Amino acid sequence: MPYAKGWSLFEDLMKIRVLIVDDHALVREGLRSLLESNPDIEVIAEADSGVAAIAYAGELLPDVVVMDISMPGMNGIDAIREITKDHPALPIIALSMHSERRLVIEALEAGARGYLFKECAFADLARSILTVAGKNIGSGPKMTGIILSDRLTPQFHALHLALSARELQVLRLIAAGESAKEIAFRLELSVKTIESDRHIIMRQLQLHSVAELTRYAIREGLASVN
Amino acid sequence: MGIRILLAEDHKIVRQGLRSLLAKQPDLEIVAEAENGSEAIALATQLGVDLVLMDLTLPDMSGIDATRRIVAELPEVRVLALTMHSDKRFITETLKAGAKGYLVKESATLELVEAIRSVAGGGSYLSRSLQGFDLDGHAKLEPAKPASAPCLISPREREVLQKIAEGKGTKEIAFTFGVSIKTIETQRSQIKKKLNLHSIAELTKYAIREGLVSL
Repeated sequence: MPYAKGWSLFEDLMKIRVLIVDDHALVREGLRSLLESNPDIEVIAEADSGVAAIAYAGELLPDVVVMDISMPGMNGIDAIREITKDHPALPIIALSMHSERRLVIEALEAGARGYLFKECAFADLARSILTVAGKNIGSGPKMTGIILSDRLTPQFHALHLALSARELQVLRLIAAGESAKEIAFRLELSVKTIESDRHIIMRQLQLHSVAELTRYAIREGLASVN
Repeated sequence: MGIRILLAEDHKIVRQGLRSLLAKQPDLEIVAEAENGSEAIALATQLGVDLVLMDLTLPDMSGIDATRRIVAELPEVRVLALTMHSDKRFITETLKAGAKGYLVKESATLELVEAIRSVAGGGSYLSRSLQGFDLDGHAKLEPAKPASAPCLISPREREVLQKIAEGKGTKEIAFTFGVSIKTIETQRSQIKKKLNLHSIAELTKYAIREGLVSL
């Protein structure tokens, strides 16, 4: 039936054309396989690096880019910045295994329209693609793990910004491996004061152990992993 | 009969993607998905799978430790590691733990399918991009460096270390392993002594560098 073919061509034209960027082929191919199951979405290309993503975005003019954040060579955030500079209207969704606030903020500041964690379900990604492409009519079920830039709330900014200079210093020293006693000696304060500082820091950062404080400090660039 | 696969991977969308890719192969069947190491052990035990496709960086219990347990307790189950890590130390540790294959996530689907068939069929598989890599030579060339020698501590100690670095308290760890608080305290000081580390912060950083916990 000739008209059926014409109709499907029309449908193809209406599809959201997606560029997938991830350095891991298996992740890329998996995403492609999932996205192709959605009738509104068409994967037009896969890029394995930030540099390739910039080139494809220019050549192929996709409707949406799905971008991994951590890639060797040029990372996803720099690629987002470059693509946004050349194509300010092209929506980019960051898809990352990292949930560090710093990275989320950097990606959104670089121009990403959304940030999803790889813990999210595929349905969340599909919905996000439809949303940023302007095709999501109705609110739909609540999305988990996604932060769209216009929904960025103050609490998402680094919690440690609310710490005092001394509390921040105590946090750095804890993450450096010093005991309360050593910190007290170094800062010429009582052990009790340092313990109370630690208590305040944990409450402020909503963390409950020294191990978590250490990982937080490394994540936020307050301590080194070495 | 098809190959019954357990997929252990903590990132849901990656898991769904792999499932979707493997669903296209008529001889492969994903019978269950696990999102952490202990779940992988439990499911492998319950379901009688042929092969575990195991991500190495898993919360709760690392993929390497889960592999060691599964291989020890279920010798008929084959483990194929699937990971983003391509450094030699990871490969060596994983194969030592008993995995029969090691595949990096840069591989294409075709290679994954080939690796699954090979490992499930009694063979072994090493990512094409890693071939030519001399495991024995590596072991001889680089004797244990103190800064990166996970074999310094026992498998159980590694599991305890991971729990510590995740921020679990002594009591909670003791409860998880069904041992006394004193045992965990002893193990913790053993770990510190063996690794020459003196604080929880240092243990945590070590665990991060070893890939036992993520940031």
